[in-house]
Amino acid sequence: MKNYPLWKSLLIILVIITGIIFSIPSIIYKENSNNWFFNNKINLGLDLQGGSYLLLEVKTEVLFKEELENISDSIRLIARGLQTNIVNVNTNKDEIQIRFSNMNSIENIRKKFLENYRNVSATINNNSIKIVINEMFKKSLQESAIKQSLEIVRKRIDESGTKEPLIQRSGKNRILLQLPGVKDPERIKELLGTTAKLTFHMVDDDDSLSLGANIAPFGKLIVSDFYNSDIKYLVEKKSRVGGENLIDAKASFDPQQGHAVSFRFDTTGAQKFGKATSENVGKRFAVILDGVVITAPVINSPITGGSGIITGNFNSQEATDLAVLLRAGALPAPLEIIEERSVGPGLGADSISAGKFAAIIGMIGVCIFMILIYGTFGLIANISLIANLFLILALLGTIGATLTLPGIAGIVLTIGMAVDANVLIFERIKEEFKNNNKVLISIKNGFARALSTILDANITTLIASVILFFFGSGPIKGFAVTLSLGILASMFTAIMFTNFLIYLWFSFSKKKEINL
Amino acid sequence: MFGINKIIPSETSISFMDYRKKFIILSIFFILCSILLLTFKGLNLGIDFKGGTLIEISTKNSNISELRSILSSKFNDVSLQEFGNSENIIIRLQNQSNQESIETVNQVKELIDKKVSEFRRSEFVGPTISSELLRKGLQAIAFALFAILIYIWLRFEWQFGFGAVVALVHDVMITLGVLSLFNIDFSLSSIAAILTIAGYSINDSVVIFDRIRENLRKYKKLELPDLFNLSINNTLSRTIITSLTTLIALICLYIFGGQAIKPFAFAMIIGVMIGTYSSIFIAVPTLLIFKFRPQEEDNKLI
Repeated sequence: MKNYPLWKSLLIILVIITGIIFSIPSIIYKENSNNWFFNNKINLGLDLQGGSYLLLEVKTEVLFKEELENISDSIRLIARGLQTNIVNVNTNKDEIQIRFSNMNSIENIRKKFLENYRNVSATINNNSIKIVINEMFKKSLQESAIKQSLEIVRKRIDESGTKEPLIQRSGKNRILLQLPGVKDPERIKELLGTTAKLTFHMVDDDDSLSLGANIAPFGKLIVSDFYNSDIKYLVEKKSRVGGENLIDAKASFDPQQGHAVSFRFDTTGAQKFGKATSENVGKRFAVILDGVVITAPVINSPITGGSGIITGNFNSQEATDLAVLLRAGALPAPLEIIEERSVGPGLGADSISAGKFAAIIGMIGVCIFMILIYGTFGLIANISLIANLFLILALLGTIGATLTLPGIAGIVLTIGMAVDANVLIFERIKEEFKNNNKVLISIKNGFARALSTILDANITTLIASVILFFFGSGPIKGFAVTLSLGILASMFTAIMFTNFLIYLWFSFSKKKEINL
Repeated sequence: MFGINKIIPSETSISFMDYRKKFIILSIFFILCSILLLTFKGLNLGIDFKGGTLIEISTKNSNISELRSILSSKFNDVSLQEFGNSENIIIRLQNQSNQESIETVNQVKELIDKKVSEFRRSEFVGPTISSELLRKGLQAIAFALFAILIYIWLRFEWQFGFGAVVALVHDVMITLGVLSLFNIDFSLSSIAAILTIAGYSINDSVVIFDRIRENLRKYKKLELPDLFNLSINNTLSRTIITSLTTLIALICLYIFGGQAIKPFAFAMIIGVMIGTYSSIFIAVPTLLIFKFRPQEEDNKLI
């Protein structure tokens, strides 16, 4: 070992040994460990351990629509006060155009309106007013809706009993969820797909004319029944009290009514509810959830205690879920699931065992091939290849990378491609030895000459995989990670470790010939 | 071979350049076939890029035709396919414009719940996401090609970059053609395969180019076709051995790696074979378009 510096040998051995030690947590793989060392294991992606990936979009357009509705109501009130009739109302995405029967008091209407609304612009065009919501205001509406949604989604998921969920914002108006180990993604989707806007409205049972014509008079609303959409209710548009005043909701069971949800209002809510019920004894109030009436009981006596129960034809799961939704609060805007990928635990386990098997068989195949071609040199390449795998596992474990199914494919591919650097070196050594017949010089030159080729050849693949990492989504990122790490590890093992092993071999055997 | 044998320190001395015209014609033919296939047959886009719903189930007491008749009574464009074995079945549904996604998966699950022993996976990709994924995938390919081109341009003379890119486009085109021909599901992992093939194709060309560059300095009097032959032969055993080890690993992946990985492994196997072929028969001959030596004309007289 004359030509080989001691520090370099020690460093290489140190790296390889560290690699082997730190690949242990991933090889033994303990599910839950408090031990620092054993936590340096590879994380399994959802496609391998089972679970659900969901991408939700916050439908912020609904917010603008609501805002425009408020605006049109307020204009209507002003116009009514000034004895001006409204001919028609035209609502667009973020603007509204209101046409009046005459233009006498139009300037007045505009002025009065703008006293109450700051975040809009109102322009007069003949006998109509066009109102546009400001960009700034739209942005802040959106922003707060997304933040709120994120909070509520988190609460709902936590309440559903999912372990270690990942909930994060993605892009402008999206929420990304990773829910490992979820067995019933349908239930989660149901929970997330519900806005859960709960409001209590007084029912107008006197005006059967409007109800029959299916036209709600100003300030009223026609709402259908949740269980039978043919049943309609005419209710006050303005709610007496809403879900925002709830402080608790629990699933409960009533011997007569079956499964129900009992709830409790905060002080404000209790006061409002008490006032409404004492003024309207003998009338009905409607419990409206997301635009449909769940139940509309008659008020027998004022309810001042601030608590009550909602009955409906719930089963136990529905009652539990409604309680969860009410506790977590209403979403400011509906959420739409735009992407879902759910994998059952069976498939995940199958994928892991298939991947492992493919990797092992591939490894054996490549090793046998290398020995057949290169003999002892092949054996050295194989030792390098195995060291390479340990390094990949150790790197994946310590950086906490996530192993996915394509990631396993990346490892198997690396097994095939990692020997390339060794092959390049061996071929060069073979040529050099044919030229000069000197063992150590051939080895030295062979490595030196192969080096630039190895770098050029690997960097191109590295470029492709790094770009894949930045553009790829989900599982594909896992492929880019294992491939990149595999390439880096193979460059190290070929250039350093193979080199070291060959020097070791030739120094001890004192061979005078290279049989390649 | 005019004494080249004596200075070739390698065992082979195949004069690849003699056959270059035949192989270029063959490649042009294959590329044309690919273009025709891609235009008229197209790629079999999976739900990643087309959107829709995919449910994989395993069944114990039913079969594909029974499930098909149950589902097609409710859904218009449902397709079922055995996946690996007759117990594993994949159900595909297109996005219904008037229906919520959650409903589709739920309805399918309710309809066939009794026939199913396990819901193995369910995927839904909405129309906004599928077009986004397609855009991002194409962007990734474009960026990768561009970045590789820049690297080759920095490391080599631009003529080599041209040759490498011609071979690369050749490999990607023909691989896509083969994927279209065999109706292979084209998904996100296919984009990964295409990019890896791009990397591998360049990798193979680069190793030969490296040797050409070295030999250009070493053998100043050698004619270019002979010099190219020499360089290919120098690196031939490496080219073949690396392709074979990669193919061994990929074939294992294809056979044992599970159903989901098969399209990826298939694309890679095709890509690696074409990449190996093209680095020898396409990338190097392309370099003959250029004059690497100013005194090229004089050399011809020797």
